[in-house]
Amino acid sequence: MALFKRVENAIDASIGRRRLGYIALSLITLYFLWFPNDASQSDYYKTVFISGFFYAIMASSWALLAGIAGQFSFGHMAFMGIGAYVAGLIARDGILVAALGIQVGPDYISAVGAILIGTIVAGLVGLVIGWLLLRLRSAYLALFTIAFSELFRIMMLTEYDYTGGSNGLSLRQLLEIADVGVARQVEYYLMFFLLIVCLLAMYWVANSPIGLFLRAMREDEDAASALGVNVVRYKIAIFVFTSMIVGLAGAIFYSDVGSERIIPEQLEVLQMSLIIAYAVIGGMESLIGAAAGAFICRYMLEAMRKVVIGLPFGMTTADGSTEFVWEPGAWRYALFGVVTVFTLRWMRNGLLYPFITWFSGRDIAMKETVSIRADDEAAPDALEGGSA
Amino acid sequence: MAFDLNLTTLWLLFAGPLWAAVGLLLLPRAGSSKSADEAIPATRLQIAGVISGFALGPLGISLFYIAPALIRRATLAAGIVLAVFLASQALVRVTDPQLPSVLWLLLAGPLWAGIAAYFIPRQYRAVEANDDNVLTAAALGGFAIGPLIFGLMWKHSPKISRDWMIAFGSLGAWQIYTLFAIHNPSNPCVAAPFHITYLTQQTANGVVIGTIYSLMAVGLTLIYSVQGIVSFAHGQLYMVGGYFSFYFLLFGSDALSRATGVEISINPILGIPVAGVIVFIIGAVFERVFLKPMHDGLIERVSEYAILITFGFGFFIEYTTLAIAGPFPQRTDRFIEIRRFTFPRTQITDDFFFGPINIIGDRAFAMVIGIVLIFALLYFLQRTWTGRGLRATSQDRQAAAVTGINPTNMNTLSFGMGSMLAAMSGAALIPIFAWVPWVGAEMVGRSYVIVVLGGLGSVPGALVGGIIVGIVEALGAGCHPDPSRGAAYKEAFALVIFALVLLLKPTGLFGREQH
Amino acid sequence: MNRKALSLSLIALMALLALFPLGIAQADEDCEFADYTITLGGLAPMSAPGAVAGGVAMDWAFAQAAADINAACGVEIDGAHYQLEVITGDSEGSPERGQAVAERLILEDEVDGMVGVYHSAVGLATMGVMEENGIPTIFSEPWNDNVSANGIREFDGAAPRFDDGIDHIFRISPTSSMVGSVVTDWLIALGVQDVILIVENTDYGQPAAADEQARLEAAGVTVSQIDIELGTEDFVPILSRIQARAMPPDAIRIVVTGETSFNLTQQMAELGIAPTPETICVTNQIAFQHVQYWATVPDGNYCAFNRVGIIPSLFNELAVELNTGYEEAFGDIVPSFGMASYDAVWMMKDAMERAGSYSDAAAIVAAIEASDITLTQGRYYFDYGAHNPDLPEGTPAYMWHQWPDPIVTVMQYFEQGQSSLEAAVVYPEVYQTHGSAYIAPGTSP
Repeated sequence: MALFKRVENAIDASIGRRRLGYIALSLITLYFLWFPNDASQSDYYKTVFISGFFYAIMASSWALLAGIAGQFSFGHMAFMGIGAYVAGLIARDGILVAALGIQVGPDYISAVGAILIGTIVAGLVGLVIGWLLLRLRSAYLALFTIAFSELFRIMMLTEYDYTGGSNGLSLRQLLEIADVGVARQVEYYLMFFLLIVCLLAMYWVANSPIGLFLRAMREDEDAASALGVNVVRYKIAIFVFTSMIVGLAGAIFYSDVGSERIIPEQLEVLQMSLIIAYAVIGGMESLIGAAAGAFICRYMLEAMRKVVIGLPFGMTTADGSTEFVWEPGAWRYALFGVVTVFTLRWMRNGLLYPFITWFSGRDIAMKETVSIRADDEAAPDALEGGSA
Repeated sequence: MAFDLNLTTLWLLFAGPLWAAVGLLLLPRAGSSKSADEAIPATRLQIAGVISGFALGPLGISLFYIAPALIRRATLAAGIVLAVFLASQALVRVTDPQLPSVLWLLLAGPLWAGIAAYFIPRQYRAVEANDDNVLTAAALGGFAIGPLIFGLMWKHSPKISRDWMIAFGSLGAWQIYTLFAIHNPSNPCVAAPFHITYLTQQTANGVVIGTIYSLMAVGLTLIYSVQGIVSFAHGQLYMVGGYFSFYFLLFGSDALSRATGVEISINPILGIPVAGVIVFIIGAVFERVFLKPMHDGLIERVSEYAILITFGFGFFIEYTTLAIAGPFPQRTDRFIEIRRFTFPRTQITDDFFFGPINIIGDRAFAMVIGIVLIFALLYFLQRTWTGRGLRATSQDRQAAAVTGINPTNMNTLSFGMGSMLAAMSGAALIPIFAWVPWVGAEMVGRSYVIVVLGGLGSVPGALVGGIIVGIVEALGAGCHPDPSRGAAYKEAFALVIFALVLLLKPTGLFGREQH
Repeated sequence: MNRKALSLSLIALMALLALFPLGIAQADEDCEFADYTITLGGLAPMSAPGAVAGGVAMDWAFAQAAADINAACGVEIDGAHYQLEVITGDSEGSPERGQAVAERLILEDEVDGMVGVYHSAVGLATMGVMEENGIPTIFSEPWNDNVSANGIREFDGAAPRFDDGIDHIFRISPTSSMVGSVVTDWLIALGVQDVILIVENTDYGQPAAADEQARLEAAGVTVSQIDIELGTEDFVPILSRIQARAMPPDAIRIVVTGETSFNLTQQMAELGIAPTPETICVTNQIAFQHVQYWATVPDGNYCAFNRVGIIPSLFNELAVELNTGYEEAFGDIVPSFGMASYDAVWMMKDAMERAGSYSDAAAIVAAIEASDITLTQGRYYFDYGAHNPDLPEGTPAYMWHQWPDPIVTVMQYFEQGQSSLEAAVVYPEVYQTHGSAYIAPGTSP
């Protein structure tokens, strides 16, 4: 501990923690940029990373919606599905606006066009759902979004004539590159840059006045609206924003970038709960924390197929082996549940939070909490301090 | 498809759009010429111009020009009425002539429901009348009687009692039923003379399974009423209750048989209290460790924390059970050795008969268990000191504490008892359904529907809600014109009701205001 | 707070990191084994939303096959004995995961061959991965016709695999069409006029039902189909609808898997809809798991079901032995995909020995095509492949790289709690055990 303190002081005195944090962050980014060029790594790890980036977008946008804006939605996967399904259906069937007599054949729609339309439709549905959700708080909101997402999944499954049912729907290929190795490289960079762009956009929103208003509303909606925050507008806006982000990510990921088809099972509550668990483990109130949490968890779930623990002191197992082999296939989700529950109870801000605070040199979320508890009666003051 | 060129068509095609364009252009000028304090936003004027121009032509526009203050009253309302009428006319004209009644359901019904739900509560608030339940009644009424609802509820702003909703609800249901009779005459729900029997059969199916459903939902509602949280681990506790009963019966029968030397199998009814006790302890311990800090003020944003922590707990239970019990379906012996109860076919008149009605024996038995347990719970809550303590805590935490009730213990008790009820319903259902570690997921979705419908926190509400959900699922699956969609969308029917209740009346049928 | 929380989370992260794989367990050493261990990748659904029960059985069969092979001194190539290991990858029943796991097995674990696959969607999604990487593959359970047909016919935009000169994919499970035809032929032979198909709305149920419906309608049978969602528990409202018909149907055929099928069959029996003297109850291959079946469908006596794979009366020694092992582990009879998965590993071993290499994909593929080996399900061989590339007119494309002889039969229980080893085989006639094409409820053959 004393050594730790000395190192800490030395860093504070020389470059400062903040700067060190930025250096670490840029090093990590550089590593990810360099990674596909590492010849010793197989294509398989690129696949793992690509899906890691996708789930990082999902988890961090959920963190923005739930952690920062306080809207506890279980419908995130459904909006991803809307983006992907709409993009797929449009690329296959074209657009038919019967009322106006307009019909655009699928040949006139490029993969990019389909993805953009998918994103916009996800945003529009988000607008409607976000508006309906205004009346609901916490548990009711969670229940409503579960119902919405289940309804969507059942429809995608049942109307198999249009959606392909459980066989799934193939989207139009976004990148048409013949060479598999090159294609994987391009897919990797595409997904990585999508993650970076989404994170930057979300940080911009979270740090803008809108983000501050959202935080204020999360803590005390009535007080915030009394202070003149247009609660309605911001709540809907953030819902639409995150819906579009996941719609875009879904449409791109399933356009044969990460996976060649979207299936309704992907929209099950289980998949949504995994996203939530990633965000919780990484830190619900930090976008980068949630993203890193998702990435690390995906990696761990991939890596955890056989655990071998060498036994100490010459101990042997029943069959004479000196190693204990554990195949956690059946247990890894149970373990995941334990980690989630314990993180929530004892490390509310996620397992990565201490690192983030240490690097940033201050204790943001804790201070917020303490001030609330101290000024329970005088909430508006605390809010004013927060938004100033 | 004949396309007769009568006046309506001409209007729709030419004059309507023309006048709408005129209205769009002219009306904003009318607004801007008024003094500042009467100014109306331009967008609103544009919308009003389009609607009134389309529906009423020059008359509508001139009305606005003369008296813009009428915008939000008579003219706009008349415009909407006519626009809806014309739009539905237009659709009728270009589609099958048989369709108008379907259109009423698909387009006009929901549309009027939306319009009524938007405007009527505003009117109530404007005249400062009590607007409880108005939203629900307006939506149901709009669906059932269309624009007439404005006549009923607009000017007088009568006090809305539950009777209004029942009346409108039944009227709407009757309309849907009539539609079926017209458009799907071979549907078993409307094909005489069997339809009475069939509807009775489906309603009985719904009541039986609904009562069983409600037992589980009661636990959820109990937890909510005392703690103000929704347990997302409820489905998994239900599932694990079934497994505890299963293993108790398995090992218990085995041990007894070995001890006595005679083949003995324990009736699954004994598994119910056993599963209840075990899960009560699990629930109580979980509450002490993970939920208590929440009430001690150690955790910010309590309701989100509660959702997440119970959710994670359920996740853990489900996958631990999967790892231990395996994915193979299990089931215990039956409660009673009667396959089904049959009410035989009775000839009432020469061409009218009733029956047969079949109820599966074990389900009837499980329903009785459900009713007994729910009434036992009600007795406990009403008549015992502890039960009254629970109720007092649910009504006013501070006041209850003053009278010597320990709210912390009441929290633990409520979560334990809620979990216990879930487990007991699991143990009551494992003789009926094949049991796998993921059975909880579907069942708990239904419980949420039930508690929200009945009103979170109300025990009788959960019973009524359960029966309603059971009947809706049975009738939905039984009466949908396409049997395949009826079957595949069985759960979806309940989810639609759920979404509607959440939007129209989040407090449910018997609920009190949100915490 | 900072220090404490930091160390706490460090510990937590370390604990997680400690779970990383550290090595591979070694088996016992009775023979002189060479240094290299031949690895096969086994794809099976080991966690939800996949059919976990199926995956568990397949995983067991892989391990059993590897253990049996190693006990017989492994794979012998050029006089050297190699140990064999099957690494099971969890497909989770999802094409996306299946693809990723297949890549992991091929690129990370560098497996020499692939076996397994349960869900057709996973099979269809992963076969491209195996083909691209040149991995000899024997599928043991996906039924979709296109899995083998894609070898010589385009499917969903994917060019025929054989276009590249070598097709690495083989299948020893039956195709949907093979299974469907046996049941429908039986029903038509019995002279039914009116059949209700109850079908799960999945990639397995829909094509299978469409195929059966077409066959039945071609024979002039009236067919109505009801789709249900997997996971539905209460079927009474749907069944009441069947009960409300003026005339009961002649047969109800259930194309539903897992516990959903058991719930449906039991409720149908409890309500007295089928099996009855008027209505034949036809469920599907999972009813063969008699312990699960009787535990969950106590009233399901006299239900018929299609059996995929060899019938119990024809079990050879190897099959009996495998079944004994399976019964010890799970207390139930070994399912067909368990047998097929076991056989697939053995076939791979046999082919590698004949090819004289574990890494030369072309040689192994050629050796598999030339397979002639009798295992638990009977004699394995392939009619059409690079050795015989021209399918005669009228032969369906799915016969490419397809074992032509999976036995599909219709069986029927006729005693409460009967073991499926003793259940009657009623169709096709050549396999009939009790000399009867249908045992009417209440009677005994």
